Amino acid sequence: MRMSFRRVHRGLSLLVLLALLVACAAPAAAPTGSESSSAGGEAAASGEVSRADTLIFAADITDILTLDPAVAYEFSGIQAEGSIYQTLVSFEEGETGPQPLLADSWDVSEEGDMWVITFALNPDATFASGNPVTAADVVYSWSRAIELNKSPAFLLIDVAQVTAENMTAVDEKTFAVKIPKTVSPQVFLSVITFTVAAVVEQAVVEANAGDDMGSTWLNDNSAGSGPYVLSSWDREVQVVLNVNENYWQEVPAMKRVIMQNVTEAANRQAAIETGDADIVQDLGPEQKTVLEGNPDVQIVSASDTLLIYIGMNAQVAPFDNPDVREAVRYAINYDEIIALTGGDAELVQEVIPAGFLGHTGEIPFSQDIEKAKELLAGAGYGDGLEVTALVPSDYPAGPIDFPTLATKVQSDLEKVGITLNLQQLQVSELLNIYRSEDAAAKQMVFILWGPDFPDPDGNMTPFTNYAARSIAWRNGWDDPELADMAAQAAIAETPEERVALYADLTERLFHEGPYAILYQPIKTFALRSDVTGFTYNPSDTPAITFAEIGK
Amino acid sequence: MFRFILRRLLGFGFVLLGVSVFTFAIAQLVPVDPAAAALGAKAREEQIQAYREELGLNRPIWEQYFRYVARLVQGDLGESIRTRRPVADDLRDFFPATFELALAALIVSLLFGIPLGIIAALRRNNWLDAAARLIALIGGSMPIFYIGLLGLGLFYRQLRWLPGQGRLDSTLTPPEAITGLFTIDALLTGNWPIFQNALWHLVLPALTLGYFSTAVLLRITRSSMLEALSQDYVRTARSKGLREQVVVLRHVFKNSLPPIITTIGLTFGSLLSGAVLTETVFGWPGLGKYATTSVSNLDLPAVMGVTLLAAVVYPAVNTLVDIGYSLVDPRVKVE
Repeated sequence: MRMSFRRVHRGLSLLVLLALLVACAAPAAAPTGSESSSAGGEAAASGEVSRADTLIFAADITDILTLDPAVAYEFSGIQAEGSIYQTLVSFEEGETGPQPLLADSWDVSEEGDMWVITFALNPDATFASGNPVTAADVVYSWSRAIELNKSPAFLLIDVAQVTAENMTAVDEKTFAVKIPKTVSPQVFLSVITFTVAAVVEQAVVEANAGDDMGSTWLNDNSAGSGPYVLSSWDREVQVVLNVNENYWQEVPAMKRVIMQNVTEAANRQAAIETGDADIVQDLGPEQKTVLEGNPDVQIVSASDTLLIYIGMNAQVAPFDNPDVREAVRYAINYDEIIALTGGDAELVQEVIPAGFLGHTGEIPFSQDIEKAKELLAGAGYGDGLEVTALVPSDYPAGPIDFPTLATKVQSDLEKVGITLNLQQLQVSELLNIYRSEDAAAKQMVFILWGPDFPDPDGNMTPFTNYAARSIAWRNGWDDPELADMAAQAAIAETPEERVALYADLTERLFHEGPYAILYQPIKTFALRSDVTGFTYNPSDTPAITFAEIGK
Repeated sequence: MFRFILRRLLGFGFVLLGVSVFTFAIAQLVPVDPAAAALGAKAREEQIQAYREELGLNRPIWEQYFRYVARLVQGDLGESIRTRRPVADDLRDFFPATFELALAALIVSLLFGIPLGIIAALRRNNWLDAAARLIALIGGSMPIFYIGLLGLGLFYRQLRWLPGQGRLDSTLTPPEAITGLFTIDALLTGNWPIFQNALWHLVLPALTLGYFSTAVLLRITRSSMLEALSQDYVRTARSKGLREQVVVLRHVFKNSLPPIITTIGLTFGSLLSGAVLTETVFGWPGLGKYATTSVSNLDLPAVMGVTLLAAVVYPAVNTLVDIGYSLVDPRVKVE
């Protein structure tokens, strides 16, 4: 009896002791949250890099699954890798067409029914190890991506139609690749700006190959030629990049970049207000309003290449009738939707996003209730009709969420006699249905699309080609003529020819296609006022170039 | 005691068997083709078939179940569809964070709940009792995430007394993983600054998560104490002339302990599940966040793994509670 009581008593004392410990630790640790000491550089604990030389980028980076450039196909993973690895060519802000990166120059020639593209690699280009970047490394890296055949590999295999046999290391600094003439060299060059075509150092990866060609090893180590090297990836927490001291171009100002996973917008707002982060990505209208008056913070908005759209299945009633689809497009009040997003969206009604070659900027639709009613009456739906729409319940449609958007569209359609039954599903479940053969289960779908590579073909083929089994197929819409036009536009030789072909396609898609395209979201960033050199360019890989940022 | 633990372990085995049937059945009922889910949008039919063959999805259901159990016994929980890593590795990474948070929250609720409950009982119906009951009422009725957001807004955003996000400042490197609990690992490796920082990051989430269970413990302690206070042996003890302190601690509190200990056990379970919301609000990289992300990605192997882990932890905590129970109440024999 006595003993057991003592034991309990002792336990309680221990707790009290713990409480005291908390109290003792408190004052000493308190300043960590405040600006003064974090800027003062607690070098002892954080290693050799001070807070002033560290760039903290806070965003929802839960999507990172891998840091192997041949495998990654997620926004945040690509953002991290784009600073570690380099591609032969890349897009630069303000320049049209691909610019030199690892390749100094390139040349396109013909050989029978193939294009031969020959790249002269930059003689100065070296990996972080100090070894030169060679043509053999390029052959190895691309062959590796093709052989691994993970999520982004289709870009090399199916879109660019590169095969291991068609690649040659002509000499140490000359790399040549042959692709069929059905692939446009322009599309090819766009595709290889993506991280799947990034160059890894063969010797290092092979030395750590394991049983998956080094994929697992590359999650915690790096073998690139970019301005940063991977220091650590703490899953769901952060990715830490350290500066590549051997970088062959100008060594970046920030010695360390921390990509911190902050999943809640409210927490990102607080992080930029307190200065715990230097840049935060993705703010909602509420956060933006609060931060706009803050002198320590600058707001940067940039158009994203995502399209928020409604798909209407052309295989099943009522959308098998093109007039009903047209009626929906006339029933929607687009301006009010933009207002709903707090202005954080750009009104776009075509499948080629603003910022891409071939974008026309035309806005053929605005709300016209009478016209919509006429179209419906003509189609035999004068007495109204009922439609079921699938809506992602847990997914952002840019600055607002899909249920909010769908409810707005529902009230617009009500005015012309279309009753919309909204069926909210988790996005993964919705995509399962959208990608299934069951046309009746997906009469109407609210969803978004982001191009796989920065070329108009990255959108036009999926949106028009039924055989590609992408968006046109999912919406049961098969128009071989338009699909053929899209194929022609992709391989046309000059940008001018392509622009003209895409303009025709866009014009016809407006009225014949099974889509109502609503808007392109604008991404909002907040930066501490001392941050310089920040740009967001969704066509570029990576979209944010950490190496150019200073403070 | 030894036989008791042995019996408990045996029962434990049965619980696990039941859970394995249960999780397996759930996987069968979910209307998703795991092969299609794993391979994604661009998979071709033959790839899906090959994957089904590899996973044994084309075999009879009982055979699939036995394969599943056989793999479980070897500690193989399958591979997560989303992270493409063994689920066991993911759990090893994320469970310690949740465990540390739940433990800290438990400490918070013990530190506040029991003393406040005792005081409330001793000062029944005066202002202290009323205040304690108000705290209990708020704790029982306000959602965790709301308390968390209020705490963040005040102590992080406004006052900047406490850090806002995660287990450690992002500029710091986590201590070498021994137990996976940052505070303990930092102490074991003698890294005082990391210990302070980790502890400091724990304060707000632990207070938030611990608030509800503080309220529960406070109420239970109060009512249990009140009941004990009205017993004859208390009157006897007082009439013997014992000091009030001795009466309260040795006679009253000790006799009101059993229900309190039961509640602590139940509370720990609810702390683990309550961690889901707390982790979201505080960006705490634990099992709760892992579970919610897995569910929204229809990542069945991961969801099954989390369910199994929970099924191990709950009975384990209950067993500990039963042992604790027998220590404070000799009438309860664990044999």
